[in-house]
Amino acid sequence: MTTPAPNPYEQNRVQREQQGRAPRDERERVFDDELRAKAAEIVAKYPNPRSAVLPLLFLAQSVEGYVTEAGMREVAEILGQTPASVLAAGSFYSMIKKVPQGDYLISVCRNISCTHMGGRKLVAAVEERLGIADGETTADGKFTLETAECLATCDGAPTMQINYEDFYNVTPESLIEAVDRLESGQEVKSKREEPVRTAREIAYETAVVGIYKKMGEDMQTRTTGGEVLPPDMAPGFRPREPGTIEGGGPGEGRVSGG
Amino acid sequence: MAEETRGRLGGTAEEARGRLGGTAEETRIVKRRIHEYPDDSWTIERALDDGAYEGARKAITTMQPDGVIDLVKASGLRGRGGAGFPTGVKWSFAPKDVFPKFIVVNHDEGEPGTFKDRELGENDPHQLIEGIIISAWAVQAARAFIYCRGEFALGSRRLDKAISDAYERGFLGEGIYGSDFDLEIVLHRGAGAYICGEESALLDSLEGFRGQPRLRPPFPAVKGLYGQPTIVNNTETLGNLPDIVLKGADWFRQWGTEKSPGTKVLSVSGHVNRPANYEVSMGTSLADVLELAGGMREGHTLKAIIPGGASAPLLTSTDIAMDFESLKDAGSMLGSGAVVFMDETTCMVRNALVTTAFFEHESCGKCTPCREGTWWGVKVLERIEEGDGRREDMDLLLDICDGIDGRAFCPLGDAAAWALRSNVKLFREEFEEHVSLGRCPFEDEERILVGANQGGGSGEAGVMPQPAAGVPSDADTQS
Repeated sequence: MTTPAPNPYEQNRVQREQQGRAPRDERERVFDDELRAKAAEIVAKYPNPRSAVLPLLFLAQSVEGYVTEAGMREVAEILGQTPASVLAAGSFYSMIKKVPQGDYLISVCRNISCTHMGGRKLVAAVEERLGIADGETTADGKFTLETAECLATCDGAPTMQINYEDFYNVTPESLIEAVDRLESGQEVKSKREEPVRTAREIAYETAVVGIYKKMGEDMQTRTTGGEVLPPDMAPGFRPREPGTIEGGGPGEGRVSGG
Repeated sequence: MAEETRGRLGGTAEEARGRLGGTAEETRIVKRRIHEYPDDSWTIERALDDGAYEGARKAITTMQPDGVIDLVKASGLRGRGGAGFPTGVKWSFAPKDVFPKFIVVNHDEGEPGTFKDRELGENDPHQLIEGIIISAWAVQAARAFIYCRGEFALGSRRLDKAISDAYERGFLGEGIYGSDFDLEIVLHRGAGAYICGEESALLDSLEGFRGQPRLRPPFPAVKGLYGQPTIVNNTETLGNLPDIVLKGADWFRQWGTEKSPGTKVLSVSGHVNRPANYEVSMGTSLADVLELAGGMREGHTLKAIIPGGASAPLLTSTDIAMDFESLKDAGSMLGSGAVVFMDETTCMVRNALVTTAFFEHESCGKCTPCREGTWWGVKVLERIEEGDGRREDMDLLLDICDGIDGRAFCPLGDAAAWALRSNVKLFREEFEEHVSLGRCPFEDEERILVGANQGGGSGEAGVMPQPAAGVPSDADTQS
């Protein structure tokens, strides 16, 4: 056989046909055209498309609240990878969720300072109020509880995050009040006055961060992923004579021959 | 009033000095702007008013790249992320004739107890960007990546805005300061993995793989991101660069010790009255640090100290200088500079359990000693804490430590062993008491679990109702 290996995504389609299952239809498509365009912008941030795997998984997570199999396959398709390699990478990271999540993720710190300052009591308070244990989601799909490792807010121990916004010096009472407010649709603000967003909003924000209008388009084309570029193709670098600096800033002392 | 200022970002050393009449004081280099302009230090307008980007301008327009490397070498600046490797030396390892090169900022702060990079990234992103420009110029890299911890939602928002503003004003992009030097910054978010703070694991993660450490050599400076020369620096390290370029190596060396010059931001937390980030001269005594943080909460005595993050072996005395050498000589380490003070209400078995469980959770699974050793450590500690401990468990724990230490693929396993071993060795009687009693002697939950911080609302916590402006000494009697 000399034919090139088929695209694994295509293989899957063929396999589905053979098994008598319906081909993937529009409903299974996770990214609409707008998100596809966004995904292309994210991929363009990196010299190598593979680097975009985490942002794209966040983008998939912003659609359904967690990364479904269809989402994973679509990310693989965009990046030209196998679904298995996307799963391998994605399953390593705790912020990439593999099971359905609530709208609000309550992460209570269980690390050193927070434990010594009473963090375990916060977990007990959520468990009692919402009837869910660590890692579980309420039946109405509103809240998920997780115990988290150090959230880098030890000066406010015991601390927690709700959808990654920080809350300091949390007491069981203040935690329950925040849950009550979120449950009734009221706004809750973090320690630093940031409103708590929903899990999907925050996943989208995480996915699309760092896309700038003024990023040099020239640089994008001059850099290719993973390959060693000859010096004259290195983005932004033009070899100069040792000892001279050309084109210093306006009005600034320039040196040459130094 | 302590309760009005406590917990506020920026520290309150002035109040601390005023009230305590002590000699402990902060020396601010990387935290200066945050301290002087607590309300808007992160905006580009304030940063420019305050002279931001002048260091980068001076470097690019008046200095040779090699000159910048020599200057940083002369300053003796050492990496602030934990290992303490001399920054200028690291830069000089990058081959001069291989392009492209990359700068990667390790903003994946996760060492338990550490919260300095969070504050620096949230409240002074322009200082970080300026540091990136200087380091990129020094090694001639045209692209820099900021690996920002996934959980830092606000920090990422602020960095994103700051980078965008810096592009707008021409500090980034093509032809910076009219030179032919181009620099692009890519903001990349992590997704919740402590091991990605290890530089080679960070690079794997940035390339889109599982974040597992690489075998070294080759070191990242020679073959790093995408196989190209890559300089990985911590946020705080880069924050020192603008002032070093503007004011010189001698200016920087007026603080700290011969081998550890400059300042260090110490993240102080635990059972102290004013937990916060304090930037002090290297070599400041731990007693002064405790004084800056307002001392132990009233009516309580110091039991143990973690001097450099969860990885660092415990200390029991504050009579030590906080610099790389002194702590190494004392059998511990400065690490990332996270100082956790624990008083006599702390159960050290629980402390060991929490610490080991952390390493167990964050072990990447690549090598067996770390993956299995931390798992066994947790099992044994759990049964001691629950009262089912056996007489031989303490020796078993030390055995497990010996099985990990020096045999793991990367420093995470070693750190897990050091932390657990120091807990067992220093507080062996307490472990034995758990076994002989058949329960945890600290089971008085009300007493342990309600933290001193009950009394310390800062008034900034959004909907969080503030407990009555309390005195910390009341806290342990409330429920």
